[in-house]
Amino acid sequence: MTALRRIESRIVPAEGFRSLEVAVKVTELGAVHELIREAVDGLTPAQLDRQPAPGRNSAGMLLAHVAMVEVHLGQVGLLGEPDGRVEQVLGVGADDDGMRLEPGGAPTPAIAGRDLEFFLDLLARAAHHTRRACERLTDTDLATDIVRPPRPDGSQRVFDRRYVLFHMVEHASLHMGQPRTLRRSL
Amino acid sequence: MKAVTNRIVLPRGRRATEVASFFAQLDELSGRMVEDVRGATPAELAWQSKRGHNTIGMLLLHIAIVEAFWTLVAEERFSPAALRRALGVDLDDDGMPLPPAGLPPAALRGRTLAWYTNVLRRARAFARRRTARFTRADLDRVITRTRRNGERVRQNIRWILYHVLEHQAGHYGQVLLLRHHYADRRRAR
Repeated sequence: MTALRRIESRIVPAEGFRSLEVAVKVTELGAVHELIREAVDGLTPAQLDRQPAPGRNSAGMLLAHVAMVEVHLGQVGLLGEPDGRVEQVLGVGADDDGMRLEPGGAPTPAIAGRDLEFFLDLLARAAHHTRRACERLTDTDLATDIVRPPRPDGSQRVFDRRYVLFHMVEHASLHMGQPRTLRRSL
Repeated sequence: MKAVTNRIVLPRGRRATEVASFFAQLDELSGRMVEDVRGATPAELAWQSKRGHNTIGMLLLHIAIVEAFWTLVAEERFSPAALRRALGVDLDDDGMPLPPAGLPPAALRGRTLAWYTNVLRRARAFARRRTARFTRADLDRVITRTRRNGERVRQNIRWILYHVLEHQAGHYGQVLLLRHHYADRRRAR
């Protein structure tokens, strides 16, 4: 008789944070990263580069995008820095994901042809950065507004840190679902 | 100057702040998803990019079913009949997972966006109502159950809340992808 498979899933707030709510979100983000790693497990550089159509995102672009957005949000949304310094953390620039692609566009030279290890390293760096950005946050910080400088189009973004943490989890989850669909077409 | 404001504001009247925060986040996510599927016709909702692949309609129904399913699991009250009472559909009506080369469920053919958004609204109202009594201590509670395939599964309620949000966002991303593919296909004609 084969032994029954047992599956355990828990969100246990990570230690080392001043706020339970922040600890929960960091743990959730770690769980989403794990799902992303599962979704792309075993993909070759050619598969990571493959676009369903010219101008459409590849799995590699999506992975880079998740890492870049997470670092950018950590810097401007959690730490309240005036500008993102994505390249200092990831070694690739904030626009190197190539998104949004022009019609007919292809992955940028910075990420084209890269292997899975490269993209997983970007995710690991982003996770480390997020953890550091969250460690000192308190519950009070979560409801504090971040007011961004005016944009060239005349608009101005205002958000609280609770929204930023939600957006990090939701954004990574949203793009996690896309490589799953893309790999079914490989 | 146009100000674009995004805040997660915790609704009052919940026993646990964390549960209140979860619903505020989930509502934000759903609001965005409903906005992004606006204008999808029954033909687009039923379009399959390839045999065996999910349609947008299947994904939307799946999101609603899963939200109600996990709410019942968290209450330790899941039964197929309880899910049907909550949503008016059955657990397998989304057709997922489709077998290789499978077609979408015939019962979804011709369904409108209004039908799907109504099921999504029912699922949210159900989940909101049934989790209102959860306390912070409940979130650490571990639910143990046996799946239809015999697997033993243990999950805490905090994971269930996280999973409902992550699950919806993941499939929302796939809905966006399918909308792009559908538009590409139409342009290529």
